[in-house]
Amino acid sequence: MTNTFDLSSALEDYLEVILELDEKKEEIRVTDIAKRLNIAKSTATITVNKLKKLGLVIQESYGPVELTRAGKEYAEEVRGRHLLLHKFLIELGVDYKTAEKDACLMEHILSPVTMKRIAEFVNQENGIEQEHTTKTHRYRDAGSGITIGTADDEMGLRSTGVKSLNELRVGEKGNIIRIAGKGAIHRRILDMGAATGSEVVVKGIAPLGDPIEVTLKGYNLSFRKEEAKQIFVEVCRK
Amino acid sequence: MSFRFALVGNPNSGKTSLFNEITGNTQYVGNWPGVTVEKKEGRAKKIKDDVKIIDLPGIYSLSPYTLEEIIARDYLVDEKPDVVINIIDATNIERNLYLTTQLVELGLPVVIALNMMDEVEAAEDKIDIDALAKSLGIPIIPTIATKGRGVNELMQKSLQIAQTAAVGSTTGKSLDIFNKGIGKYISETESALAAHLQDIPFNPRWVALKLLEGDLKIIDRLNLPGKLLQEIGQRRDMLEEEYGSDAETIIADTRYDFISGIVKKTIERKRSQGALSTSDKIDKVVTNRLLAIPLFLAVMFVVFKITFGALGSFTIDWVDVLINETIAGTISGWLEAAGATEWLYALIIDGILAGLSSILVFVPQIMILFLFLAFLEDSGYMARAAFIMDRLFKRLGLSGKSFIPMLMGFGCSVPAIMATRTLENEKDRRLTIILTPFMSCGAKLPIYALFAGAFFANNQSLVVFSVYLLGIVIAILSGIILRKTVLKGEPAPFLMELPPYRIPTGKGLLIHMWDRGKAFIKKAGTVIFAAAVFIWFFQTFDFSLKMVEDPANSILGVIGRGIAPIFSPLGFGDWKSAVAIFTGLLAKEAVVTTMGILHGLGEVTESSTSLIGAMQTYFTPLKAYAFMAFTLLYMPCIAAFGVIKREMNSWKWTWFAVGFQTAVAWLVAFVIYQVGSLLGF
Repeated sequence: MTNTFDLSSALEDYLEVILELDEKKEEIRVTDIAKRLNIAKSTATITVNKLKKLGLVIQESYGPVELTRAGKEYAEEVRGRHLLLHKFLIELGVDYKTAEKDACLMEHILSPVTMKRIAEFVNQENGIEQEHTTKTHRYRDAGSGITIGTADDEMGLRSTGVKSLNELRVGEKGNIIRIAGKGAIHRRILDMGAATGSEVVVKGIAPLGDPIEVTLKGYNLSFRKEEAKQIFVEVCRK
Repeated sequence: MSFRFALVGNPNSGKTSLFNEITGNTQYVGNWPGVTVEKKEGRAKKIKDDVKIIDLPGIYSLSPYTLEEIIARDYLVDEKPDVVINIIDATNIERNLYLTTQLVELGLPVVIALNMMDEVEAAEDKIDIDALAKSLGIPIIPTIATKGRGVNELMQKSLQIAQTAAVGSTTGKSLDIFNKGIGKYISETESALAAHLQDIPFNPRWVALKLLEGDLKIIDRLNLPGKLLQEIGQRRDMLEEEYGSDAETIIADTRYDFISGIVKKTIERKRSQGALSTSDKIDKVVTNRLLAIPLFLAVMFVVFKITFGALGSFTIDWVDVLINETIAGTISGWLEAAGATEWLYALIIDGILAGLSSILVFVPQIMILFLFLAFLEDSGYMARAAFIMDRLFKRLGLSGKSFIPMLMGFGCSVPAIMATRTLENEKDRRLTIILTPFMSCGAKLPIYALFAGAFFANNQSLVVFSVYLLGIVIAILSGIILRKTVLKGEPAPFLMELPPYRIPTGKGLLIHMWDRGKAFIKKAGTVIFAAAVFIWFFQTFDFSLKMVEDPANSILGVIGRGIAPIFSPLGFGDWKSAVAIFTGLLAKEAVVTTMGILHGLGEVTESSTSLIGAMQTYFTPLKAYAFMAFTLLYMPCIAAFGVIKREMNSWKWTWFAVGFQTAVAWLVAFVIYQVGSLLGF
């Protein structure tokens, strides 16, 4: 099981917590997240900003935190892993509390291959087709080429190379992973050729600093940095 | 048999060139995304059958975004042309085919004109046209529209398809774009629609896709039962859940996957992805961080220097002599020989000829300006100018795309206002329409030339320049104010294709120039002509239709005296100025014409010394400047008013626009005169 972004356990935990809060509360504040994870609010703010950068959550300045579609999906997937591991451990005869604690640790570090085997094992045992773990498609596989980093980057972002397009320098190249937002502009960007997986090259920036010019599907397109922020790319290494 | 063929394609794919080749029509072509602002019709030449060609605005997809795209889509889905000629830029097949995949879904027969093959050949790229046609299931004809190559073959093929379709068989079959997974959702939606086919005037599969995507415009139009929409909504949720993205992205991605698959198999590009094309190299200079703005200013300066400088004034003098000496001399000779009555002589020489000459002198100058604008557009520089200027326009609450209409406003507001159709956001469009007339149009130049010549002889060009600048400053301030009040809201995002640089063809430039310029000449022949006769008549006769000795007693004089007090606080409360402002509504040039006629000088151009003398008794330099400011800013001429009404599509907004402009004009002239008087000018 791989994800578009391979996040560190810290970020994955955040997502899980936000998902959990999301199901209980109307509005999620950074304070709620900090309380639930038992950490300082300032730390929580930094991490939420990282999630924001990845397009997994949305937060207007000091407003409530919301999961984006991708964020929600990711969070659900992490939880799926958690539930599966929990079930697996219980089946091995581990007590509930220990299973809960270990599942929390294991969910972040097991390789996709092991996860898949465990899923098959549990499903076989229960005779149910557990869709959650077998379903794969492009939106989760888009980043499967990225190797899982080491856990030493404690704040979470393992060198994933995922950036929003406005962060790319002139001449840098990336593959489109996702376009955040909804509505006419989202639609238009898609229609102009920004399909998932397409390569974009930042060609230049207008003299006054905005808009930017990119090459996409063999032609040149320009848009403002505001729009570029909505486009997430996986930076190609040279 | 009679058929209708629609030309459809991405902006900049060469549709208009192709249209001109097929119809022999002089339709103008630009290298600016979206030059075809309306659908235009023509008849195909060299073909026995009656074939009507409809040139639609360029579109990227069938999910319309700007007004012109809505025009194109509505035509296709409502009018159902017999054949859709999908013109594709062969240098950019991948993105162009995106539209093709959607056109096929409409169920209309499609033929592809693979255009710009010369550029493909020059780049030594290889396209396996047969294989491409086979995998798309659509006939493809390679063309070079600018040279007319492939046009006959294209028409023959289209005709053949139209004829076979007319007897019952259609080639418009669906492409196998969607895999089983997504296809299941589409066919399920399609079968859900089956019970409502009588309410769906479009291809059901296309509608199914649009509904799955959640296209609000289609949902609004169809009036389907809420329960069905809800059911489709659930299906959309399931699709999104299964594929982990939103329906629009999933469907768009699938289309692009399909296209990439085909393109990989059929096209071999010689230039590697990273290599720079000539166009890229030009861009490196033109949009360079340090050079871009000086270069932009230099280009604008050269355009204005040539248009309004020595060459421009030379042409003005030349036409002036031609009309007022050669032609007027000949005609007055004829009239005398024929023994014409005094009033007829006066009507023709003092009324019509004097009126016409006051505008015709500007025709060459305006043609020069339009030629420059055509060159900038066709070469691709205009799009860069918008790119460079966007940041500044964003400050005004507009996008860089507003730059073009505003720049064209220096020529004539009529085509400028029409060009606002490329703006996607309604508020942006309205704001641009209101502000564009503040860009001093060519017709206002004679007013400044007259006044600046009479009162600021030493600083003539500086004063005229300052009036132009005043217009720009007022536009900026008005933009900021309107954005904060009646046209509140975020400016629309800026999303624009930067087409490759192309060397414009001489023919293309002339067609382009002529298309805009002829509107101006037409105006001279109609509105100005009528205005001249109208002014002459009303200033020659009184209310009892007797010829008057003193124009002050004429109908116009009476009207002028009635409205003159409005202008007293601005410094020009005399009836002649009031009448000139009033007749300026017919055409701005008429301000000068009226001044000439009313001061009893007959034929007048801004260089006539006798008029200058007469003017000096009425005006002071300060009053003259206030008058220039007022004529710069007040309600545009009747032709522009008509276009504003058409483009605003609302009387309320039209009256707001001209009311706002006139109020601003009054206020600015008031401030200039009052503050100037206080300062002792």
